[in-house]
Amino acid sequence: MNFKIKWENLCAFTTIKYPDFSLTTEKIIFLNGPSGCGKSTLLKIINGTLTPFAGKVFLDNQEISTLDPIYLRRRVILAEQSVYLFSGTISDNFRRFHQYRKTPAVSQEKCQALLDICGFSFNLEESCDSMSGGERQRIFLAIALSMEPEVLLLDEPTSAMDSALAHIVMGNIIKYCRAHNTPMIIVSHDLELSNTYADEIIRLEGKP
Amino acid sequence: MNGVADITITNFLLIYLLLLIVLVVMKLCHIGQSKLLFVASLRMTVQLIIAGFVLMFIFKNPHPVFTIAYIIAMIAFATHRVISKNKWLNKSFRWAIFGTMALSGVSVLAFFLLAIVHQNLFNPQYAIPLSGMIFGNAMTGLNLGVKTFHDNLESEHLQIETLLNFGAEPKQILLPFVNNALETAMLPTLNSMVGMGIVALPGMMTGQILSGTLPTTAILYQIAMMIVICTVLCLSVFGSLYLGYKTLYNERAQIIFPQ
Repeated sequence: MNFKIKWENLCAFTTIKYPDFSLTTEKIIFLNGPSGCGKSTLLKIINGTLTPFAGKVFLDNQEISTLDPIYLRRRVILAEQSVYLFSGTISDNFRRFHQYRKTPAVSQEKCQALLDICGFSFNLEESCDSMSGGERQRIFLAIALSMEPEVLLLDEPTSAMDSALAHIVMGNIIKYCRAHNTPMIIVSHDLELSNTYADEIIRLEGKP
Repeated sequence: MNGVADITITNFLLIYLLLLIVLVVMKLCHIGQSKLLFVASLRMTVQLIIAGFVLMFIFKNPHPVFTIAYIIAMIAFATHRVISKNKWLNKSFRWAIFGTMALSGVSVLAFFLLAIVHQNLFNPQYAIPLSGMIFGNAMTGLNLGVKTFHDNLESEHLQIETLLNFGAEPKQILLPFVNNALETAMLPTLNSMVGMGIVALPGMMTGQILSGTLPTTAILYQIAMMIVICTVLCLSVFGSLYLGYKTLYNERAQIIFPQ
């Protein structure tokens, strides 16, 4: 069977061991576990910004350490919990992130459509500088989606939103990713969110 | 024009009274740096006395080896100062600083001595004091540039991580930090060039005029030296940071944040 993402005997540092896992296209996986159990670290290992202490991660049956790291990260996008946006308007932010990636700019219509998915109805020329944490988080998620990832890794993507909004935004994003055959691995402390949307939940244990 | 007036030791010692004024102001303003003022004054005095005697010896016994040794000592000391103020620098980055400062400083000095003033490259009367000005300014510029680079990397940690996660190349991410640090390092020199001759008569020109050189000759030296300093500062900061930033990421394009 072809797996999109798979890891075997994976260890981060010497203390954190991950259970072997395989992820097929379209699947939505939630990672749960206590603080410090290595959830965010796992996401960093999968998109190659961190090298594991031991074990292997495969993307489309190719070990990720054999892939060009930039090529890997462009396919496996990681949106971390801490949101970074450039100073300026929403459309500036879409443009600048794509400029850094050397990818073509995204059309205004597409930006607007992705913002709608993330439950955001502001004008693209609105400045991000004075927005609330929740608003910035949604813009950040829309930008991540605009990169058309093959795999989307989200670390606490709704941490700055209230529960009702978190459900709407996650529901929309998951629906969008399913429609585009984009598997997702999501780190979340919100058990209700995990139980509602996960195809599978990986429970990581704390350090021994 | 007369030559410079001699200062007797007794008269010279009076100058230290001015430091008492500085000390009083520092005490009144609760600046707890009296010890530093004392150490700095003492070190300056001792170091300059030693330099004076060493230079007297070298001028009396001019030999290329002495000139080269003196210049190497200056470069080593300047590098040491930059490194000791920026302990986060890794080994390769430190070599980049030493190499670019030495290469840019010596090449521009050689150009100045050989092409502009037509002097022997190893003439200690020219090579040593000019090197002092060149490497002293390069050191200040490098300190400022390297510190700015590091401070910005720290404050923009989140930007860097996010861009990496989104698939931007480390080069693409870090180069703007190099450019920004270079600009910051160059600004004091550029600003001092703007005010030169109006706000201040620079040290070299003042020294030459005091020792009897015609002001018209002194300004030519000063203009040339300011351009030399600006060039060496630009080359050494740019070279150090340009070679240095490449030591901050590995072959897996993971940025190793300096601690």
